[in-house]
Amino acid sequence: MLTVSDLSVNYGPVHALSHVSIEVPRGEVTAVIGANGAGKSTLMRTLAGLAKAAGGSASLDGNPILGRKSEDLVRMGIALVPEGRSTIPELTVEENLRLGGMWRSRADRATSVGEVFDLFPVLGQRRSMGAATLSGGERQQLAIGRALMCDPRCLLLDEPSLGLAPIIVTQILTLVKRLATEANLAVLLVEQNAVTALRVATQGVVLNLGQVVMAGPAAEIASHDELRHAYLGY
Amino acid sequence: MTNFIEYLLGGLGSGAIIALMALALVLTWRATRVVNFAQIGQAMFTTFIALTVQEISGSWFVALVAAIAAGALLGVVVQYLVLRPVKRSDTSGAIIATFGVLIALQAAAGMIWGGEQEAYPQPFNTAGISAFGREWPISVYDLVVIGVTIGLVVGLSLLFTRTNLGLSMRATAFNPEVARLSGIRVSRTLTIGWAIAGVVGAVAGVLVAPISTLSPNSFDILLVFAFTAAVIGGLDSLVGAVALGVGTGLVISLVTGYSDSSNAPVVALVLLALNLLLKPDGVFGHTSSRSV
Amino acid sequence: MSNLMRLPGARLVAHAAFFLAIFLVLMWFMGGADPLTMSNVALAAMYATAMFGMVILVGLSGQVSLGNGALMAVGAYTFALVSMNWATVPIIGVAMNGWWAMGFALVGGIVFGLVIGGLGARLKGPYLAGLTLGIAVGIPAIANRFPDLFGGETGLLLTVPYPEGGYLPEPEEGFEEIPVDEATAGTETGTETLPTEGEGADETLAPEDLLTVEDLGGDAAASDAASPEVLPTEGEGADESLAPEDLLTVDDLAADGSAIDASPTDVPSADVPVDVPADIPVDTLPPSTDMNDPGFLIEYWQVSLALIVACFVGFVALNLVRGRQGIVWRAVRDDPVAAAVSGISPAWAKVSAFMISSVFAALAGGVFAQLLSYVGPGAFPLGLSLSLLVGVVLGGRSSLLGAVIGALIIVWLPNVVRDLSDGRGWDEQVTNNMPNLLYGLLVVLVVLVAPGGIVGSIMAGVAKLRRTRREVEPPAAAIPPAPAEGHTRR
Repeated sequence: MLTVSDLSVNYGPVHALSHVSIEVPRGEVTAVIGANGAGKSTLMRTLAGLAKAAGGSASLDGNPILGRKSEDLVRMGIALVPEGRSTIPELTVEENLRLGGMWRSRADRATSVGEVFDLFPVLGQRRSMGAATLSGGERQQLAIGRALMCDPRCLLLDEPSLGLAPIIVTQILTLVKRLATEANLAVLLVEQNAVTALRVATQGVVLNLGQVVMAGPAAEIASHDELRHAYLGY
Repeated sequence: MTNFIEYLLGGLGSGAIIALMALALVLTWRATRVVNFAQIGQAMFTTFIALTVQEISGSWFVALVAAIAAGALLGVVVQYLVLRPVKRSDTSGAIIATFGVLIALQAAAGMIWGGEQEAYPQPFNTAGISAFGREWPISVYDLVVIGVTIGLVVGLSLLFTRTNLGLSMRATAFNPEVARLSGIRVSRTLTIGWAIAGVVGAVAGVLVAPISTLSPNSFDILLVFAFTAAVIGGLDSLVGAVALGVGTGLVISLVTGYSDSSNAPVVALVLLALNLLLKPDGVFGHTSSRSV
Repeated sequence: MSNLMRLPGARLVAHAAFFLAIFLVLMWFMGGADPLTMSNVALAAMYATAMFGMVILVGLSGQVSLGNGALMAVGAYTFALVSMNWATVPIIGVAMNGWWAMGFALVGGIVFGLVIGGLGARLKGPYLAGLTLGIAVGIPAIANRFPDLFGGETGLLLTVPYPEGGYLPEPEEGFEEIPVDEATAGTETGTETLPTEGEGADETLAPEDLLTVEDLGGDAAASDAASPEVLPTEGEGADESLAPEDLLTVDDLAADGSAIDASPTDVPSADVPVDVPADIPVDTLPPSTDMNDPGFLIEYWQVSLALIVACFVGFVALNLVRGRQGIVWRAVRDDPVAAAVSGISPAWAKVSAFMISSVFAALAGGVFAQLLSYVGPGAFPLGLSLSLLVGVVLGGRSSLLGAVIGALIIVWLPNVVRDLSDGRGWDEQVTNNMPNLLYGLLVVLVVLVAPGGIVGSIMAGVAKLRRTRREVEPPAAAIPPAPAEGHTRR
């Protein structure tokens, strides 16, 4: 279980996150939703070791994770799929995937490239092509595949729906949910697209201006009209 | 026409050396987005070390190994000095730091070995090969240089395409953040990249010294040629650096043959300026992020 | 005061007064200085002139260039060729003199600045540095390519329009084959390399001895060694070979607002041997019989010239840096895209910075030519461009004061090292290379820990001091609004 308590992050004088507490249990998807500038990406980048926390704590299965380098967090089981271009277009599909597993010894690699190709058959068909030739949806699958190659216990997904057609978004998120249950992953999903995110999530957290304004079962949040109007804008 | 072919043949050896130096520049550029102008100073310094080792041991090969070891070490040291401004995204600072290292290395070499032109022993025959009843403008030494260059280039491309280390180096060059998120130890990878560049530069230095002279400043012009080749080759491309390096060597040989060796730097400059005007990303380049 | 500064032209006047004051104070000091100090100050002023341009180019517009040594060469060669080949200024028809030649050097700077800057504006970071590095390394090749015009490897010996009654430099040691009387009499010696035509030859000055690169040591420092060895001109000989129009006279200097009328008498001509460092052989010093001649030391003339140019360039630079153009340069350096959408042309900003720095470098080159009385490829090695960069970085990349400090470091550090090495049994090659080793290490150190250089660090220190003082007072309210009531359940 990923536990975040009382986390604060500052960008200079700006409080990007203040006193945020979230729990992400294994085996299910937890969605963090909120408008632009709510601090969602900051949360993810801090948990993945790319941004520095100003206060609070976070731990994965009891091991503290704040203040560690990204490279070490990957080894502890945290894999982030960052927002936007998170594949390397200059490398082939297979090379992009191999990146994720390279830190482990060959014998130890739990997730092989083949398994990822089973999950995402379209990647298998294009394994030796440059990642630059992939469509947006395929690239997102490749990014998730690369993160899975790290053999994570906790998967952090930052806006996987960005710029993708709704039908592709649904496909990808359904797969994410399946992964969470089948591989017993703690999945933290950050989304602006609240409807779709809350559909696959068990628990939901609403962020606004760096603070948690509501947390609870996803269904409850989805049906909370006032909240929707005030913070999610629909 | 026979002259033309002779000049071309004569340019192969120096072209191979320019190619190696350009390769070293490209390696550091790919790793850290810094053109290491100190590279030539490192090569000069390691060649002086090689000369000292040669004088003690009497073996050209032992000297080469010493230069390689020193080149790797120096590459690592310089990388530590340059990387901090890069992290601060102080591009000017990083370039200035490489020039600072260059000045210091040239001064240190002058202190230790003096400013005189030293002759580096020639391990192989540098006279033209006589075959088929005539003398050719290419020597056994040129063949050794070309062979070593081909060996290094093939070895490096295998390293980059076939090994995990090569893949981490490429990933780190293209997108350090994704590399980091994949668990690659980015700073260690960068350091290895600079060490390899240091080795390639050191080999270039030991190879060029016997056919020129060795003094703290004597390689400066090689840096200009290598930079020209690397930039026209696209700065990102190993293939481009090698192809254009050899090409620059051939052009210089032609210019020297048909006119005068003092014209070579001018021609290189004109080529560089034309290329920067017409095709700023180089012939083999594939990045277009340099516009505003 | 701040309201006063907003009046149109008020800032201009203030800056002008500031530099005039600096000039006067320095000239007053120079009146009592020894010749060696004068040449060092002249050299430092020359470096500062070029480094003002480096501040604008490297510091403000963020372009690292190694071409400014080459652009100094452009100025120096333009100065030399114009003053040697043209008796009168084309079109206008007035007689050529040092200031007109400087004007042509300025034009040369503009032209080359536009060409190289135009190429460079397309290039970011390493590309410009590499291109200009190539230019700096390639200069000797260009000089050799056209030996008839540029004098090839040997360079051109210049006839500097020294003032009437000023002392002319004696040929250096190793020139014994040219008798001194012949050299000073303005004979035809060296006319093969100095293409002076009929009338022009009359106006050119003695001595036309041939200096070679080796003799100069290929080094700016050679001027230090040469200048203390001065020789008084033989009265009539000088009068005949000098056209009064050619000269920067004492009156010219005084017209620039200088209170130097008293200085010629202050120059301790008879006492020179006392002030000259011991390492200069006494027998090369001027014969004492001529020391009673009125007039002043050639070094005094040199330092006046260098300071006039440096103060003028500094004045122009300060107005540019503090004015609208300074903001434009910084904007383009920090965020070209944002600058572009604000209606600034990043390309023109870069080219203009390059051109300005090129003009400054060319003017410095014109001064350099007159300080050395010589122009040649050996005087403009890559090391010159590197020292310009070193000085600016050490002093402070984006500060004009930093340029001045940098120039002083470049000129005095070698002397300090030489003094330190005296009597310590240091090897010659250690002593000679120590300044460069220090420059290199200091540059790396500055870039790593204090990117603002000396001036930047002091300013940062002062700002920090002020901030801590302010923090003693009650702090301002926190920036973000009071948090909305949230209900965190977990």
